[in-house]
Amino acid sequence: MLKTLIAFVIAVVAGAIVGSVIQTQFNLAALIELSVPISLDTRISTIIHDLLNFSPIFAAILALVLLVALPIAAVCSRKLGGSERWWFISAGFFGLLCCFAVVNSLAPMPTLIAATRSWAGLGAMALSGAFAGWIFDRLWHPLPRELAEPLA
Amino acid sequence: MMKSFFLVLVIAFTNVGISQAADNETFQVEVVTDSLSFPWSLQELPEQRAGWLVTERGGRLIHVADDGSVNAIPLQLPELFVAGQSGLFDVILAPDFVQTREFYVSYSCGSINANTTCLARAKLSLNPPYTTSEVQQIFVAQPLRKGAAHYGGRMAWLPDDTLLLTLGDGFDYREQAQNLANHLGKVVRLQRDGSAVSDGPFPTKADGFIFSYGHRNSQGIVYDAQRKTIWQHEHGPKGGDEINQLQAGKNYGWPIASYGVDYTGAMVTPYQELPGVTPPLHQWTPSLAPSDMALYAGQLFADWQGDLLVTHLAGKTLQRLRLVDGQWQVMSEHAFANGSRLRAVEVARDGAIWLATDAENGQLLKLTPKGR
Repeated sequence: MLKTLIAFVIAVVAGAIVGSVIQTQFNLAALIELSVPISLDTRISTIIHDLLNFSPIFAAILALVLLVALPIAAVCSRKLGGSERWWFISAGFFGLLCCFAVVNSLAPMPTLIAATRSWAGLGAMALSGAFAGWIFDRLWHPLPRELAEPLA
Repeated sequence: MMKSFFLVLVIAFTNVGISQAADNETFQVEVVTDSLSFPWSLQELPEQRAGWLVTERGGRLIHVADDGSVNAIPLQLPELFVAGQSGLFDVILAPDFVQTREFYVSYSCGSINANTTCLARAKLSLNPPYTTSEVQQIFVAQPLRKGAAHYGGRMAWLPDDTLLLTLGDGFDYREQAQNLANHLGKVVRLQRDGSAVSDGPFPTKADGFIFSYGHRNSQGIVYDAQRKTIWQHEHGPKGGDEINQLQAGKNYGWPIASYGVDYTGAMVTPYQELPGVTPPLHQWTPSLAPSDMALYAGQLFADWQGDLLVTHLAGKTLQRLRLVDGQWQVMSEHAFANGSRLRAVEVARDGAIWLATDAENGQLLKLTPKGR
């Protein structure tokens, strides 16, 4: 149980960090298209700002998604067979996609996370869910060759 | 209902601070009526004791008579679209209303997948019960967009009888506020018939309508005849609501320069100011969601001449601001109707201040000095 919990927390934190960095790039790209200068320093400070201010709310969203999607993926893996790893990756990806759709239909604003306004941004943000699914399964049920990997 | 619940969750989670002020001893408050459904704007009729025109966001034009009685005025607006933030917005009388009986209303038109801010002109009958005639849609902001958010919709006349109309960025289209090829996130200036002015700052862009650009969602605009200038305010996202001094052709920055961040906490832009962007003369962080604005001129509050009165939705207050050394400063703030969201403010000819609350049982409040 503790192993599952630790795997879950690490997956959520890792997914939230990756998702935060991804959405920052989409927001900055939109500004660059408007001829706004974005230096490397500015990019880094924006990434840090978003990690501190955006990633907590995204982590909460991702945790809710994974709480629902990962058990479903585990059941599907058992009942339907196939690679558990890919079930979990898919659960994170499609779970976040569904979540964005639900959140945007409930939230007062048309789109809660600006980066998901485009198909590319939506897919990229959903990939952070896929990454979280991969991390979870990598820690929860590591493959034999992964167990054989040196720790450092 | 679910959306409201979600908004509460988002606000709680994102730790939006709301400045709340208690009412004070300044005003005598009279509830003229409490039977308005989400009123949006107020306009005093020029005849003595004729009362007020009030719009409701749901689409009704209302006459509130001098005795407080409320009567709907039949008005069929072409393609009226009501959902989310969309619906009937502002009402303003023509400069020569007494002769022509013409008035203008801004509203959202279209459907959930293709809508925009529209402007219609109509005529009001001479005597109550009022009726309308010659309703004509005279301007359609371009392009049509999806969703039901950020329409702007406030209007003000300039001394040359041209009309300023604020237009929102449509929320999901924020970058378009910098694109001079369309009307999203702009203030447009029109002639009385809805056509473009001939001396606009961008005659070859977006059919020549654009007066200023880089706006997010502007719901307050007034012409200050004394100072010969235009004051406008607009909603920031989370933080960064602004008061601007509008000038033709200027860029007011959204979304490349802002004092606010996105509702999720993500940065919209790393810049609060940029070269070529006109900075605000006042900014509210955290956001109070300014919903309307009036310039005070009247006898009842003699010390307030030239002050701005601003109503707030999230802030739930009426603020009075004064221009001090080129910057607007909050001088006082007041809450009404048990801390209701406030949607509209107007100054009556006699100097009384009229407010509308933003609620299903919306109130029309008349404020006069305490003790008079």
